[in-house]
Amino acid sequence: MTELILQALYSGLLQGGSYALIALGLALVFGTMKVINLAHGELVLLAAYIAYSVESGLGWSPLLAIPLAMLVVCSTSVMVYLAVSRIQKDREINSLILTYGLGVMLTNLILLVWKADVHSTSSSWMQDAFVLGPFFSMNSEILFFGVSVLLMGGLWWWLARSWYGRAVRAVSSNRDAAKLMGINPRSTELVSFVVAGILATFAGVALFSYGVISPSYGGVLTIKAFVITVLAGIGSIPGVLVGALLLGVAEALTVTLASSALQDLVGMGLFLLVLFVMPNGLFGAKRRRG
Amino acid sequence: MKNSYKNLGLVALIACAGSWSSLHAEELLVGVEVPLTGTLARVGGGMHEGILVAAEVFNKTSKHKIKVISIDDESSPAKAVAAVEKLASQGVLAITGGYGSNNIAPASDAASKLGLAYVTSGGVDDSLVSSGHKNFFRINNTAGYQKAMVGLLGDMKAKSVSIVYSSKEATSSLAREVQKTLTAQGATVASHEFDPAITDFKPIINKIKLQDKSEFIAMVGYENDYVGILRAARVLKPNVKAIVGVWSLATSKMAADFPDLMPNVYGTAFLPYPAEFKSADGKAFNDAYQKLYQKEPDYLGQFGYVQATLLFEAMARSADKGTLKKNGVIDELNKTDRQTLIGRVKFGANGDNPFFSHRMGQHQNGKVVIVWPKEEATGKASFPGVPW
Repeated sequence: MTELILQALYSGLLQGGSYALIALGLALVFGTMKVINLAHGELVLLAAYIAYSVESGLGWSPLLAIPLAMLVVCSTSVMVYLAVSRIQKDREINSLILTYGLGVMLTNLILLVWKADVHSTSSSWMQDAFVLGPFFSMNSEILFFGVSVLLMGGLWWWLARSWYGRAVRAVSSNRDAAKLMGINPRSTELVSFVVAGILATFAGVALFSYGVISPSYGGVLTIKAFVITVLAGIGSIPGVLVGALLLGVAEALTVTLASSALQDLVGMGLFLLVLFVMPNGLFGAKRRRG
Repeated sequence: MKNSYKNLGLVALIACAGSWSSLHAEELLVGVEVPLTGTLARVGGGMHEGILVAAEVFNKTSKHKIKVISIDDESSPAKAVAAVEKLASQGVLAITGGYGSNNIAPASDAASKLGLAYVTSGGVDDSLVSSGHKNFFRINNTAGYQKAMVGLLGDMKAKSVSIVYSSKEATSSLAREVQKTLTAQGATVASHEFDPAITDFKPIINKIKLQDKSEFIAMVGYENDYVGILRAARVLKPNVKAIVGVWSLATSKMAADFPDLMPNVYGTAFLPYPAEFKSADGKAFNDAYQKLYQKEPDYLGQFGYVQATLLFEAMARSADKGTLKKNGVIDELNKTDRQTLIGRVKFGANGDNPFFSHRMGQHQNGKVVIVWPKEEATGKASFPGVPW
């Protein structure tokens, strides 16, 4: 039993790392613009499909698809921003409807271009076992867990230390006051969307490398990312990591100790429990750092 | 003079109308309600391809001409009902298509109320044939898949099996039947249900490795599930003799896309890969399919082809007897009894095909070899054998 639980904890941590990578872009835009980008899952999926095209068409490693995927996903993310920025009234609620619609359009675009088949990497190295004593995982899981932690650290540093990061936080706190300080809110928000696009690119390539993709999967990714963002506390980057790891471990333990059929129930139960005890999320409001 | 021109014009108009109506009198309208978008887009698309191939082949050989009108049900039960109603309003004589038991049930119900025959291969849930509808016809069922899976495991003398199955309706139902039969045969069976949203199967495979210690893993799911399960098994390497699955597994696509995961894995398959068609019907299907889609036909296309061909034939017989408007299509479907690409099809009183029995194929060196039943085998099973 100990062996089972140890492996479940390890698998849960790795799964949490992948959840964090997916949620990071959504959390950034939500934190800075109070916009819930419901097309975020589709942006992640778009990157995953580009990785698939590069691997199947050119025979290259999915990692080499990152520059091209970044270009396409960031451009799409900018288009999402341009659409959202045209909303004059009730941006929070209207952007929900708009981004949901954009998500549906992206899903159908993916379906049109890549058809409905399921895909995943055929790279042997990505799927090969990485054994660390009693712990088993795939090489791709370890690789992208590391990437996830690095990106999170980088994003946290960027928000806390760089001029643009501070500008993003200033716009997020008080748009008008930031304007008076000489910050252009539009360009700052645009930067947030571009950074979210970069994060979605890494998440997509990671997803293709250890998971399975299909056109309808975007919605599932958005929901998971949204749950983690709210669990974390709006705008909190460390919160995203903690929330994602918590969710990953809770799900893996549920599968091991009970049944996989209950994993979503436990995930949602945890989500509701945290919000009941801490309505601002794990790292929300007073304890927010990022 | 003016009057004779008028009369000439009138005669020409009547002649045109007459020739138009006689041209269209032989055109039999068939409605196809199938998911082309949404979660079932891939399987629905595969079935749709087979239906269109059937129309192409049928129109070349029959004096009757089939015209197919397709509507995407977007993988939604409500839209499946709306699609059936819209097709009926467009004058179709019967409906074929449907994927997913939860979509097929309300769609076939709507077709029943409209007096239209509904022919499918996309739902294996038993409730579909126990609803009492006289218009519902299905060419495949859970029992046929179960016979194949249990038959192969029986030939391998399986004493302990771990069944890993998706909590979806069709997969749960098949897993329950497999478990019941294997237990009755004296095997020890451990079942692991999983949520369709799961992506990491390592905790489940680890339970099989450390707790169940079964000789065989039986997977009842879909392509994405199989990839996840096989990847987890490849990492954890449980001590099993073979891994057996069902639909969407022993296919050319899986062999090509996942060359590291598929070796020695078993799944249901009517055809070996590369495909070999011995019958004239099979060759006609293969030629038309390759011409239309420039790829190897798969099992989805094959099922779609068979269900549609049987419907078109019944419609043609009914048209010859002049009973199209008098439940003739349903009567003719009830009389159907012939060998097809998926074996014998004869519909029982409940619309099910009791003769349906699948075959089992094994991935071997990038090919799919039929290994069960013995009389249909195209090669020997590589046993024991796992992908790693």
